[in-house]
Amino acid sequence: MELQHIHPEPTSFLKRYVFSEDHKYIAKQFIWAGLLFLLFGGILAMAIRWQWAYPGREVPAVGKLLLPRSGGVITPAAYQTVFTMHGLIMIFFAITPLLIGAFGNYCIPLMIGARDMAFPKLNMLSFWIFVLSQLMVLASFGMQLGSAGAGWTTYPPLSTNVGTPGHGQTLVIASLFVTGIATIMGGINYVTTVIRLRAPGMTYMRMPLTVWGLWLTAILNVLFVPVLGSAGLLLIFDRTFGTEFFVAGAAGGKGDPILFQHLFWIFGHPEVYILILPAWGIVSDLVSFFARKPAYWYKGSVYAMIAVTVLSAVVYGHHMFVTGMNPLLGQGFMLFTLIISVPAEILFLNWLHTIWKGSIRLTVPMLFALGMVFVFGLGGLTGIFLGTISTDLYLHDTMFVVGHFHFTMAAASFIASFAALYFWFPKMFGREMNQTLGKLHFWSSIITITLVFGGQMIAGYSGQQRRLWDPYQYTFLEHLRGLNKATSHAAFALGLSQIFFIVNFFQSIFAGKKAEKNPWKVGTLEWELPSPPPYHNFDVVPTVVRGPHEYANPEVMKLLGRDWLNQTEQLPEASAAAGEEETGKAAAGA
Amino acid sequence: MASVVELRPRAREDFTASLGMVVFLASWAMMFSTLFFAYAFVRARATVWPPPGAPVLPIGLPALNTAVLLASSFTFARGLSTLRRGARSSLPVWVALTFLLGAVFLGLQVQVWLSLSRAGLHLNTGGIYGSAFYAMTTFHALHVAVGLLILGWVFIQALRGKYSEHNQVKVQLCTMFWHFVDVVWILMFLTLYVL
Repeated sequence: MELQHIHPEPTSFLKRYVFSEDHKYIAKQFIWAGLLFLLFGGILAMAIRWQWAYPGREVPAVGKLLLPRSGGVITPAAYQTVFTMHGLIMIFFAITPLLIGAFGNYCIPLMIGARDMAFPKLNMLSFWIFVLSQLMVLASFGMQLGSAGAGWTTYPPLSTNVGTPGHGQTLVIASLFVTGIATIMGGINYVTTVIRLRAPGMTYMRMPLTVWGLWLTAILNVLFVPVLGSAGLLLIFDRTFGTEFFVAGAAGGKGDPILFQHLFWIFGHPEVYILILPAWGIVSDLVSFFARKPAYWYKGSVYAMIAVTVLSAVVYGHHMFVTGMNPLLGQGFMLFTLIISVPAEILFLNWLHTIWKGSIRLTVPMLFALGMVFVFGLGGLTGIFLGTISTDLYLHDTMFVVGHFHFTMAAASFIASFAALYFWFPKMFGREMNQTLGKLHFWSSIITITLVFGGQMIAGYSGQQRRLWDPYQYTFLEHLRGLNKATSHAAFALGLSQIFFIVNFFQSIFAGKKAEKNPWKVGTLEWELPSPPPYHNFDVVPTVVRGPHEYANPEVMKLLGRDWLNQTEQLPEASAAAGEEETGKAAAGA
Repeated sequence: MASVVELRPRAREDFTASLGMVVFLASWAMMFSTLFFAYAFVRARATVWPPPGAPVLPIGLPALNTAVLLASSFTFARGLSTLRRGARSSLPVWVALTFLLGAVFLGLQVQVWLSLSRAGLHLNTGGIYGSAFYAMTTFHALHVAVGLLILGWVFIQALRGKYSEHNQVKVQLCTMFWHFVDVVWILMFLTLYVL
């Protein structure tokens, strides 16, 4: 594959720093775009928690500034926008760019030994179209009647002109379409790059699990994001051209709001796995790297991820058990939903087996990886209650659901993003991050995350519905005020603990210790390159001779005096054998 | 690595490009599948189809139109195969013919819309029947329109002699898109007009 040409680094400012076609630079652009919106979505989350702790009280510090008309109080209409945009921003404009945009771009070519993506220009366009969608989201806040307010799921009839007449809602749906285009463009690149540009010897079963996770995610993205695109398009038709796909009965139409739920969840359930598969892959690699042991049953992890990818397409109905679905269909969806926990369990057990009796290095990335295992365990176990029809009928639309998906999507995906960020930061920016601040960030985040989403689950199990503006209007929820207040305070602490990260991130970028080539002593391809790698990545495209997790091999320790091997490294068998021969001869001579 | 001798580097790159196109078309096929799913969902629940009072969709003109689009796929494929055999000068002729047939398709499609509109089927008052029909056909027609723009570009490039039997992958990618639009139309014709 010497056919991947070495392109000279462009010299013009625009080509270098703005419309760069270098996958490493685009990855960094995605990091900035994602982190900014993560901050934005996080602030919205704080607003929701404020409302649940102190409904009707003025938001401190920024309230008067952002909501001047109501005197700093979150009105019901503003509250609709806040929780809707919190969800949409976090999922589409924060996790997606961080986990898939940034690490997909950064890791895939470097880890498979490619000089760039298969289609660098498409990659550049993908980022800028993504930025366009982010700008559309920001612009929607300036619209009359504000931004979208129909919930992140955008269910009609709330999302029709009757429920949310403002142009903000239309603009946000359009922004989802645009961001979908960007995602598909990225997906095309990832899928093709992995198939076509693997270095010689990098067979599928030698790819790092990170790449497996990202690749399967890309496949799901390419196949299911268009479904959301189509659903959004039909909704826009309904809102602007007067079609009646989702308008039913009394409004004169013969359409069906439930149709939108079908379309949304045909996309939406794979989307859940889109956001968790890269996290699984990254964590699978990290636990092996820092337990200094080969990943337990590598192939099992690969097959499990493939099984999840396939099954994810046939479980979406479990979001719709209460829509009056045919019971037989419901049973089918329940069956598949519960079956999908089997491959998830295989991955989970593989992580535990990998850590078992390993010589664990509790570095910051490893802490975050273990944290992800913990919160994903909580999220996964509670998912079984929701996948089972009989319990879901009771728990549907309660805070229990909110707690569950925050443990899996929010906690697990973000913690894995942070694990990845702490792990690849030295390679990306050529500097090391501060480990003490990183550990503070980890412990403060993991404790508060568990409290926040655990608190939500308890509230939901006690019957509190999600999305209530003021839950205490209902006397049967009045006694949950204390619990919600405590949960909110944990959430504020979670928000504040991100300061550790922000400080650490900027300090390390500008003044961190210069990173060496391979600070973690791991064997995947990117760590054989200087930090940061040169523009074309590999001077000579490497030849891979083994899998990504060669640790604690006694023979290697004897020959080389270290516990790991690069994926390209030939064991010095020949010289060792020759050496032994010589000593043998010497012994014979003596 | 160096030990692997590459005989046809260009063929490798061409294959990568067409694989990317296949992935893209798979993605776009899912987009259309969603529309078909929505149509099937609505249709399966309707007791009478078309709803009482709504005009029945014509079959003659759309059938003719299907033949026109099929023919355009054929001419484009023919253009590509002649280019691959080295007949560079005949490519613009075939592309122009394809463009013409595509334009005729769009013209006839507008004709169908106009006649239905005169018969009283409108996008915004026709209920789900009108919604589904107009949304699906318009969405497809937009793809044909984009295809025409691409064909125009291929035509100009072909006139300027940019393509040859060794440099034909871009033409090939365009034919893939055009065939895709064609196949979608055949399915749409069968679904909307025949079934």
